[in-house]
Amino acid sequence: MKFIAKKPREGINVSDEHPLVEAGTLIVGLTAIFIVIALALIFIIEVALYFVSTEAEAELFSDWIPDDLVTVSPADERLEQTQLLIDRLVMHWADTPYEFRVEIDDSDVANAMALPGGLIIVTQGLLDQVESENELAFVLGHELGHFRNRDHLRALGRGLVLSIFFAVITGNDVAGLGINATDIALRGFSREQETKADAFGLAIVHSEYGHVNQAARLFERWDAADENSLAIITYLSTHPQPGDRVERLRAIAERDGWRTEGPTTSLGWKGR
Amino acid sequence: MEDFFEKLSMFTNFIWPLLLLAGAYLVGSIIEKKHFQSIRKREDGLHGIPVVSFDTMPEDWRVSSSDMVTGSIVISLDYFKRVIAGLRGLIGGRIKTYEPLLERARREALLRMTESAREQGYDAIFNVRLETSRLANAGRDGKGTAGVEMLAFGTAVKLASRIG
Repeated sequence: MKFIAKKPREGINVSDEHPLVEAGTLIVGLTAIFIVIALALIFIIEVALYFVSTEAEAELFSDWIPDDLVTVSPADERLEQTQLLIDRLVMHWADTPYEFRVEIDDSDVANAMALPGGLIIVTQGLLDQVESENELAFVLGHELGHFRNRDHLRALGRGLVLSIFFAVITGNDVAGLGINATDIALRGFSREQETKADAFGLAIVHSEYGHVNQAARLFERWDAADENSLAIITYLSTHPQPGDRVERLRAIAERDGWRTEGPTTSLGWKGR
Repeated sequence: MEDFFEKLSMFTNFIWPLLLLAGAYLVGSIIEKKHFQSIRKREDGLHGIPVVSFDTMPEDWRVSSSDMVTGSIVISLDYFKRVIAGLRGLIGGRIKTYEPLLERARREALLRMTESAREQGYDAIFNVRLETSRLANAGRDGKGTAGVEMLAFGTAVKLASRIG
C-alpha cells in the first residue's frame, strides 16, 4: 500500500453561510416570534385580571413579601408611623378590599412600590427625602392609586413574562425563578397609569388634609435640583419626570378647586 | 433631564449589548481567519508525514523506536458565537458558528501532535485518536462552558528501514 499525502479537505465540516447572515435570520425571526408570544401573554394577563377578584388576590398574597427584600428592623418607629399614615389615608377609599401593609426597604435610593396583596414598599432613601407628612402622603396615595387600577398585577404579570423570556434566552432554569422586588421595581408603568394614580393620590391627600399644599413639594425640589443624584434616579426611572408631574398636579387642583394653601404636618421622626 | 434618562436606558438596554456583540464578532472573526491561515500554512509544511487512524502497521515496516505523541488545544468561543448559538438553541438546527471553532480545534490538535512527532524525528503516526472534553466555567457554578479541549494522540514510529 502506498501512502499518498493529501491536504485536509475544506468545507465539509464548516458551513459556507456567513455568520452574520445566520445571526440576522435568527434575530429577526426569533424577535418576531417573541413579540407575538409576549403580546398574547399580556392579553391573557388582561383577561385574567377580570377573573381574579381583588378579594382573591388579597387573600392569595396576604402575607407574601418578595424574596429579595431586605427590610429595616420591625422596631423602627418609621415603620409604625408610615403604617398609621396609610391606615388613615385608606379611610378615604371606601370599600377597599385590601389590608394594606407597609415594609421599609433598607435601601438608600428613593423608591416606592405597589405589590400584590396590598403590600406597599417604601425605601429608607425615600423617607430621608420627604420633609413633611403631606409629601409622604401623596407618594403613598399614588401607590394606592396603582392598587385601585390594579396596575401592580399588570406589572407583576409583565414582569413574569419578561423574566421567563430572559431565562429562556440565557438558558437559566425557568422553574427556579423567584419574584424579585428589584425586577418589579425596574419596570415602570405607562404614562397613563401614572397619571391616573397621581390623580387618585392627590384626591386622597385632599380628603385627608382638606388641601393639597406640599403634596407635590418633593417633586418640586427634585425638579429644582440640577443634577440627578443616584439617590433619586431609581424613582425617576419608573415614575414621571418631576417637572411634568408638578404641572399636572397643579392643573388637577385648579380644575377641582382644591385649596393649595393649608397647614402642613411634620413627620414624627424628623427634626429631632 | 428626560432626555438624559432616555439616552441612558437606551444605551444600557440596546447599544451596549450591540457594541459588545459587534466587537466580539470583529475580533473573533479576525482571530479565526488568522488561525485558519496559520493552520493551512503549517499543514502544507507537514505534508510528508503519514498520520493515520490504522491500529496496525504495514508488515514490511521495521520500527526502531516508538512513542506516544499528543497534541492538545483549549479553545474558547467568543461572545458573538455564544449569543448566536444560544438563539439557535431555542429552535434547533446546525450551530453554524461553532462548526469552524471545532474544525480549528481538531486541525490544530492534529498539527501540534504531528509537529511534536517531527521534532522528535519520527516518521509516521499510527492509531490516531481525537478526544474532546468540555471545560466547565467555574464562575457560573459549572453551568457555562469556558471552552473545549481537543486532544489528539497516536503512536509515533521511527523506521529502521522501510522496504518497498
